[in-house]
Amino acid sequence: MESQGMKKITSVWIITILMLFVVSIVLGILMRLNQGGVIQEQTLTFYSNLTTHGLTMIGIWFVAGMMAVNYLMQRYVRTSFAVNLTALIFTVIGVLLLWLSTFAGKFNAAWTFLYPLPFKDFGASSWATTLFLISLAVFGIGWFIWCISLMANILKKYSLAEAFAWQHLRKEHKTDTPPFILITTVTLIGIITCLIAAVIIIVLFFAEMLSQGRFVNDALLMKNLTYFFGHTIANEMLYLGLAVIYELFAEVSGRPKWKTTWYVSLAWNCSLVFILTAFFHHLYMDFVQPEGLQIVGQLASYLASLPAAGVTVFSVFIAVYRTKIKWSLTNVLFFMGIAGWVIGGLGAVIDATITNNVVLHNTLWVPAHFHTYNAMGNVLFSLAFFYWFSTQSLENIRLSTAAKGLLVTLLIGGIGFLLAFYIGGSDSVPRRYSNYPASLKEAKPLALMGASFAIVYLIAILSFFYNISRRCLKILFASA
Amino acid sequence: MFKNIVCFCLAFGACLQLLAQTKVSALDEESNIYHRVFDAPLTESVSGQKGFLSQQYERKPLILALVYTRCTGICSPFLLQLKDDILFNLRDSSFRVVVLSFDPRDSKADMNSLQKRFGLEGNSQWLFATTDSIRSLNTSIGFAPVWDSLRKQYNHEALLVGINSGGYITKKLIGMRSSHDLEKMVTSIHNVFSPSYRLPGSSTLFSCFNYDPKSGRSTPGLGLLFVGLPAGLALLIVILLRLMVRKQTPAVPDK
Repeated sequence: MESQGMKKITSVWIITILMLFVVSIVLGILMRLNQGGVIQEQTLTFYSNLTTHGLTMIGIWFVAGMMAVNYLMQRYVRTSFAVNLTALIFTVIGVLLLWLSTFAGKFNAAWTFLYPLPFKDFGASSWATTLFLISLAVFGIGWFIWCISLMANILKKYSLAEAFAWQHLRKEHKTDTPPFILITTVTLIGIITCLIAAVIIIVLFFAEMLSQGRFVNDALLMKNLTYFFGHTIANEMLYLGLAVIYELFAEVSGRPKWKTTWYVSLAWNCSLVFILTAFFHHLYMDFVQPEGLQIVGQLASYLASLPAAGVTVFSVFIAVYRTKIKWSLTNVLFFMGIAGWVIGGLGAVIDATITNNVVLHNTLWVPAHFHTYNAMGNVLFSLAFFYWFSTQSLENIRLSTAAKGLLVTLLIGGIGFLLAFYIGGSDSVPRRYSNYPASLKEAKPLALMGASFAIVYLIAILSFFYNISRRCLKILFASA
Repeated sequence: MFKNIVCFCLAFGACLQLLAQTKVSALDEESNIYHRVFDAPLTESVSGQKGFLSQQYERKPLILALVYTRCTGICSPFLLQLKDDILFNLRDSSFRVVVLSFDPRDSKADMNSLQKRFGLEGNSQWLFATTDSIRSLNTSIGFAPVWDSLRKQYNHEALLVGINSGGYITKKLIGMRSSHDLEKMVTSIHNVFSPSYRLPGSSTLFSCFNYDPKSGRSTPGLGLLFVGLPAGLALLIVILLRLMVRKQTPAVPDK
C-alpha cells in the first residue's frame, strides 16, 4: 500500500505542479494580451515567455502523470522513494535553470528549440542557449532515472510478455495483467525512447557548439529527432493520465474494476508502435523528407488515435451508460478530460492529414488542438487525481453545488479560450506572432477573447489550487 | 577517489560548455532573412537623380547586387554572370536589379562607367547607384566587407539580396550561383514559397539523406540511423532490465 513517505512527496509534487501551472497560465494570458494589443511586451520578452510557457507546461504535466502513476503503482509493486525524490530535485533544478535561461538570459527559441534557432542571435545572452540545453539535460537525467526505476519495478514482478499483456491475446491464460500495468509499461517504453532521442539532440547541439564550426548538424536530422522527442513525450504524458483513469475511474464511481481483455491488450500494444512513428506528420513541409515517410506519418497519426482512444472511450461509455454512478469531482473531471482529449485528438488528426496541413500548418489551429487535449484533457486527468489524492481520507465526497459551479467556470473558460484559437486557425491566422499585422483584422479581437476566457479558466484553477494545496499541506505536515 | 574524478569531469564539462561558442558559422545566407532592408538614399549613376531604395522596391521587387568599381576579384565575373542570367536565361522583367557600390570612394561617374562597360546603360531594368549610408545598409543585410590595406582591396562575398515590394529580405545568395538559384530568388521576391536547404558540406557528418545533384535522387544517409537509434536502444534497455531483475521476487503481492 501507499507509504507515508510516498504520500508526503506526492503532496509536494502536487503543490509544486499547481504553483508552476498558475505561473505558466499567467504567461500565456500575457502573451494573448500582447497579441491583442492590450499590453506591449518587447518581442524578445514575448518569445522568452513563449519558451517558458511551453516547456514548463510540458514538463509539469509530464511529471504530474509520472507522479500519479508512481503513487498508484504501489498497489502492485514496490516503488523507490529515493528515485521519486531524485526526480523531484532534478525537476526543480531543471525548472530553475530553464527559467534563468529564459527570464534572465532571454532564450527564445520556443519549447521545440528547433535547430538552428538556438544558435541564431535574436538578442539572447550568449550563455542562454548553453544553460537552456543544460536545463534540458537535467530534466532528462532525472526523468530517465525515474522511468528506468519504475520499469524495473514492473519487470521484477511481470515478465516482458506479461507486462505487455500478451497472454490476454490467447483464450486461456493463467495470470492477469491489470490495465494499469499494461498502459504504464507501454507508456514508459515510449518515454524512455523519446528521452534517448532528447539525449542525442542535446549531444548533437553541444557537438556543434564545441566544434567551433568544424562539425555542422543536418537540419533534417535535428528536426526529425526534435519531434521524435517532443511529439512523443507530449502524447505519452496523456497516456500516463489514461493509466490513472483505468485504475481509478471505476473505483471512484463505485463500479467493478476494469480488466484487461484481448482488445485492450491489442490496442495498447499497437499504440506503442503508432505513437513512435506519428511524429513524421510534423515534417510535411520539409520537402527533402521522402514522401514515403510523410505517408507513414499520416497513417500512424490516424492509427495511433484509434486503438487507445477507441478502447478508452468505449470503456468509459460502457461504464457510465445507463449505470448508476457515484459521481464526484474526481470522475466528472476524468469524464470531461476524456471529452477534451477526444475533441483535441480529432483536431490533431484533421491537422495531420496532409491535404489539410497545407492550409492549417503553423496557423492557430495547432495551439487550438494541443491546448484542447492538454488544458481540457490531460490537466483535468491530473486535477482529478490531485483531488482524489487529497480527499482519500475523507468520506462521502459528493459533487457539491460549489464544485458544480467550479466545473462550469472551468468549462466556460476553457471552451471560450480554445474557441478563439480554433476560429483563428480556421481563418488562417498564423501562430507564434508576437504582434499581428493590421491586415489580420480578426487576429487581435480573437487574442483578446482568448485572454479573457483564459482569465476565467485561471480563476477556476486558482480555486482548485487553493483547495487541493490546503489538503496536501495537511498531508505533508501530518505526523506518521 | 571515484567521486573526485566524477566531480572533476562534471566541472570540466560545465566549463567547456560555458566557454563554447553559441553562434554557428555557415548560416550566412539565412542571416537577416525577413528583416526589413535599410531604406538607403541612392544617387543614380546616369541621371544623378537622388531617391531612396524604398522608391525602387515599392515599384517592383528588387535584386540588390553589391560591388565596387576598383575590385580586381569577384565583382566583374559576378556581375557578368548576373547579366547573362537575367538577360538571356530568365528573360523576366517583373523585377529590377539595383547594382550598388559599397565602396565610399566610388562616385556616380565610376558607377556610370561600370554600367557602360557592361552594356547596360540603356536598360531600364538595371539601376547602378551609390549611397552615402552604406554602413547602415550593410548592417541591415548582414554584409561585412573587410578592407585589406596591403592589397588596397576589400575582402568580400559576392552577395545578391532579394527584396520584396514590402522591403523585406526574402532570400540571399552568396557566391557565383546557377540560374536555377536565381530563379528561386525571383520567386521569393514575389512572395512565392521558395524551398531552401543548407547544402551539406564536409562538416555535416550525419545527413539523413544524401542528395545527388546529377541524378536528383536522395539516398539514405548515416543520420537516419540516429532516428532509428532511440527505439532500438529503448528495447535493449528494457530487455536488459528484465534480465537483471527477474530473479528478484516482488515485495508487494497482488491486491
